[in-house]
Amino acid sequence: MKHCLRLSSLLILFLASCAAPYKGLQQQKPISSVYKYRPQFNKTLYRCIVDGKIIFKKFHLSGLLFFKQLENGTIRAIFQNEMGIAFFDFEWDSAENFKVKQVMPQLDKEAVLKTLRKDLEMLLMIGMDKNSEISLGQDRGKQQLYRLNRTGGYVYYTAEDDRLVKIENTNNRKRIVTVSLQGDAAPASMPDTVLYDHHKANFTISLTKIERNVNE
Amino acid sequence: MRSIASIILLFIAASVAAQPSGFKKLDDLQTFRTAMSASSAKLQNITSDFRQVKNLSLLAEKINSKGKFYFMKDDKVRIEYTEPYSYLMVMNGTRMLVKDEQKTNKINTGNSKMMQSVNRVMVDCMSGTVMSNPDFKVTVYKSSKQYLLSMVPVSPEMKNLFSQIEVYISQAALDVEKLVMTESGGDYTSMDFYNTKHNTPVNEALFKVK
Repeated sequence: MKHCLRLSSLLILFLASCAAPYKGLQQQKPISSVYKYRPQFNKTLYRCIVDGKIIFKKFHLSGLLFFKQLENGTIRAIFQNEMGIAFFDFEWDSAENFKVKQVMPQLDKEAVLKTLRKDLEMLLMIGMDKNSEISLGQDRGKQQLYRLNRTGGYVYYTAEDDRLVKIENTNNRKRIVTVSLQGDAAPASMPDTVLYDHHKANFTISLTKIERNVNE
Repeated sequence: MRSIASIILLFIAASVAAQPSGFKKLDDLQTFRTAMSASSAKLQNITSDFRQVKNLSLLAEKINSKGKFYFMKDDKVRIEYTEPYSYLMVMNGTRMLVKDEQKTNKINTGNSKMMQSVNRVMVDCMSGTVMSNPDFKVTVYKSSKQYLLSMVPVSPEMKNLFSQIEVYISQAALDVEKLVMTESGGDYTSMDFYNTKHNTPVNEALFKVK
């Protein structure tokens, strides 16, 4: 009996740990759309550092990540090393169609490109099912929570004091990526710092804005 | 007859267009090689400041950075970015050290043909041995003040990275004044070297990779 009790406690604990993130939050009528936080920018330059571990092998990569929005609505994201050699160059047109303009052979792998694309799209607020938007949680104090559907799961946007502070990508059971956003810039601008924490894939991407040193 | 003349004219025009503006192809390569060898024999080390500009051609954007450059004979290079970020790259033979704001990584370039090639380009440019680099076809041009070495990659590793590297060398001191690395998409990175000094006391510890 004692053994059975211990087993059932373990089972409950296991089931609780598998419970969907944000479970129990109540759906609300959205007061305003999360898209009011969609970053509006002309160009933004970030110092970018990638850190992680694949099985027992650690990896570390640094460079510059440059975002530019063209007049026709096209967005480009270019990641290059310190000496100027491009790791990748991504493009989204005004209809949010994605294109890899350039990628280094070492990064030219489907899983890598898919992850990078997804990460950047969450920040840029593109590639999600706009019609699926709901607002969640009555008891979150100052925080406002929004949810959007995305292939294979959800993206949760958390706003506080009229600016985004967190983005999370989940499937039905687990958190996959948590993105922490910080900065004093205007609500709909690119954040000053961005930290991607990939829980499943075990790596982080840290972005720190460099405003100067970009000239037209 | 007229069409043949037109073709010849077109061919001449194309040849002139391929020539960098203000430069003429150098025919007397032997004199140039001798001068470079003589200069290289006297050289022990170089210290210099540099300004780097990455030109994103299609986006009409420039990303600027600057730092300090060191070379010590035979194969030691230290590139230290100070603005707008901190980044250090030390090459010492087949060993390499890379340090950013968070971590220091040591790499054995002997394991990577690509890293070896990039390493060799930097060392060759500074020590005047570019002409013998097997990864590139090198053509030399001359203006009133500079030599221009146009390096077109022939090895697959370098073709993946660059469409061309241009090395501008002062005729007076035979110093590298500018390095322009052009990628296949047309974007290019230029490094301008200034405050260049030769054979000043340089601490060998700057090139330590251990």
